[in-house]
Amino acid sequence: MTTATSAAIHVEQLKKTYSIHERESGLAAAFRSLLFRKTRNIDAVAGISFDVHPGEIVGFLGPNGAGKTTTLKMLSGLLHPTSGACRVLDCPPHRREKRFLRRITLVMGQRNQLVWDIPAMDSFELNRAIYRIPLPLFKSTLKELDDLLELNAIVRKPVRNLSLGERMKCEIAAALLHRPDVLFLDEPTIGLDVTMQRRIRSFIRDYNTRTGATVLLTSHYMADVEALCRRVIVIHHGRILFDGDLSDLVQRFSSTKTIVVKLENGGADLSRFGHSVALEDGGVALRVPRSETARITEQLLATLPVTDLTVEDTPIEEVIEQVFALE
Amino acid sequence: MRGLFDLYLAQFRTTIAVQLQYRAALIIWLIETILEPLIYMIVWSTVAQAGEGSVADYAPRDFAAYYILFMLVNHITFTWIMFEFEWRVRQGYLSGLLLRPVHPIHRDIAENMTYKALTLTVMLPTALALTWLFDPAFHFTRRTISLFVVSVALAFLMRFLLEWTLALSAFWTTRTSAINQMYYVVMMFLSGEIAPLALLPGPMQQVAHLLPFRWMLGFPVEIGLNRLTAVEIQHGILIQIGWIVLATGLLRFFWKRGLRRYSAVGA
Amino acid sequence: MKLLRLLWLYFRLGILSEMEYRINFIIQLGQSLLSLGAAGANLAIVFSHTSSLNGWDPPALTVLLGIFFMMGGVIGFVIEPSLQRLMEDIREGTLDFVLMKPEDSQLLVSVRQVRIWKLFDIGLGGAVIVTGLLWSGEGVSAVNFSVFALTILAGTVIVYSFWMLLATLTFWFVKLENILVIFQFVYQAGRWPVTLYPAWLRIALTVIVPVAFATTVPAQAITGGLETEMLAGAILFAVFLFGVARMFWKIGVKRYSGASS
Repeated sequence: MTTATSAAIHVEQLKKTYSIHERESGLAAAFRSLLFRKTRNIDAVAGISFDVHPGEIVGFLGPNGAGKTTTLKMLSGLLHPTSGACRVLDCPPHRREKRFLRRITLVMGQRNQLVWDIPAMDSFELNRAIYRIPLPLFKSTLKELDDLLELNAIVRKPVRNLSLGERMKCEIAAALLHRPDVLFLDEPTIGLDVTMQRRIRSFIRDYNTRTGATVLLTSHYMADVEALCRRVIVIHHGRILFDGDLSDLVQRFSSTKTIVVKLENGGADLSRFGHSVALEDGGVALRVPRSETARITEQLLATLPVTDLTVEDTPIEEVIEQVFALE
Repeated sequence: MRGLFDLYLAQFRTTIAVQLQYRAALIIWLIETILEPLIYMIVWSTVAQAGEGSVADYAPRDFAAYYILFMLVNHITFTWIMFEFEWRVRQGYLSGLLLRPVHPIHRDIAENMTYKALTLTVMLPTALALTWLFDPAFHFTRRTISLFVVSVALAFLMRFLLEWTLALSAFWTTRTSAINQMYYVVMMFLSGEIAPLALLPGPMQQVAHLLPFRWMLGFPVEIGLNRLTAVEIQHGILIQIGWIVLATGLLRFFWKRGLRRYSAVGA
Repeated sequence: MKLLRLLWLYFRLGILSEMEYRINFIIQLGQSLLSLGAAGANLAIVFSHTSSLNGWDPPALTVLLGIFFMMGGVIGFVIEPSLQRLMEDIREGTLDFVLMKPEDSQLLVSVRQVRIWKLFDIGLGGAVIVTGLLWSGEGVSAVNFSVFALTILAGTVIVYSFWMLLATLTFWFVKLENILVIFQFVYQAGRWPVTLYPAWLRIALTVIVPVAFATTVPAQAITGGLETEMLAGAILFAVFLFGVARMFWKIGVKRYSGASS
């Protein structure tokens, strides 16, 4: 297969099924379930296919429980697929070959691999031994990471004394010391404040341009996705709903646009044109069907004393909500 | 080989740095290691005094020697992996270890050895203090000391591999505490912990010979006390090596299958 | 009684969460029986080489074993899990939820977590005590029995207060995670009569970690070997330790609310 060799990540009909127990609440039900136990199969990932090319940054979107983390775990070799196939850097991940593990990394925003009680630098040294990174390379990588993340001030403090943002910077650095070619990032900015989110984001972008690494990223923050990913894969109930350019996603799923109008005499009732919201600065935001945009704009300009008018795409968050609402 | 050595060295450093943060905890855990053999020593010495001054060829001073050595051997060979492994599996900590291009057992061996090296700085003075308090009858010779060292090293390896294998049961069941308890109860009787094996009823001694426990604990202690013949020692060391080979095979077999299961039901 | 009402409440919760694991019932019973059997076999081996251990005959040691088991059950049933949770709550600052409840805070933190399976240990321990008494062939006088009940009560209060004191230390020393296991380790020494031990160890087991009051003293009471001074001492010590623990708790809570606000 030609696609398999040219893609950094190749996923075909990948499926993961779990069986779960069900139980009602209450003492009686508790005793009942002692005897009879209901189980149900759940498709966490219900047969998805996609390819990611070397150097791409792809955003993996979906609500909680959509199957994002399960997919990342299958791709990093922690989970065995129920059926289907995946290859990362031409290796089947579940075999966990050493040459494969040396070339990937998985960062989970809510889990830490750094040793809690000692400075991050000691954990870095440990990783150097584990990944057998030659000292000169280790030093230059560390220097590079320091440039991008400003680690110097924090790597010598015990990890438990670091703030959440500082810890995340160190986590990321530890995960990248061996210069992986493929990065799986699961909610790398979760719980961080806006400034720190921006820092991590620009770091991921820089790392990607410098090293040409492939990045597959999940995030709840649309800002992450907008800033980093040209391509997004939207997944819901274990199925892919959309795979393509972020702008296409908006085109395809956003049935509306927003017209912001300012009038000479301030507020006026515009509800006959569509759903309208009065803005703080005296303007009005008007939600109109995409196909009607041109006509309504024309009508507004013709009939009202307009001082300012802009047409905007609906915010990406709302688009995503609309996508999930379709299910 | 070189890489593995570096790995152990790095793990030593990390573990020392971590453990030194918990000096109080280090001492707390030692209380158990010291108190248990101490209690048995006192119980059996009382029994010996009440009788004709000795039980099955053990006088109070022999019991003191037996249990001081037992405390050291137990301390050197014990592992906590059976308790830790379940936590690793449930909390997903194992996933982090699996992402590394190194077998996780190396981390555990290095960590265990570091812990032992650190805590021996307390255990050895304790053994000396107990020697002063209870006046044990040691009969060390150069030969028994060197054989003692060899058998303790083999016992460490044997116990580590067996308990690591047993810990893998966490892949299949959440009830490892029941398994652990059974293991420790059998060990208690058949390792020489509650009494030197010579004090047990005959059939129990025969069973003890067939199971691994005696070879992990009682055997090195009896070598140290100079209570075994050259043939018995030779025989015992061969049995230890046999167990090590068997345990390695079992470990490989179950690790492979356990991982397959782990990655099937969720990491 | 408030104590019993709260206990029932948390007991019910305990049942609910444990029912999730259906064969736990059998396994836990098995585990209790196994450790009891092991302790019994241990005694049998000792008594295969002697007929009396420092004045304690097999029936007396059986009674002691029963008390050891029962008391261990009480500790594991509610004291240990509740106080462990208390320490976690103090460390993570989630104690606020307890302090906001309209109930005596010390009472609440002491019964908040229940491990229902430990009831097996309490029951089995009781059965072993009765077995030992029947074996000895001597009846238990009403006086001995009431003294026994008193010493059990005093022993429970002492052990509880001691645990409470240890747990309360977390208000000052956050890193004391393992301190509770000290008692668990040292408690093992209570399986044998403390009169067996050399003086230094005996004193440590009476005053520093009061294991003797939980096991040896009640066993002496029911087999009729307890001096009146010892009984008075146990009761006084219980009252004293409880008072200290109560005071410590109040100071600790004050400090906690002062520091966290």
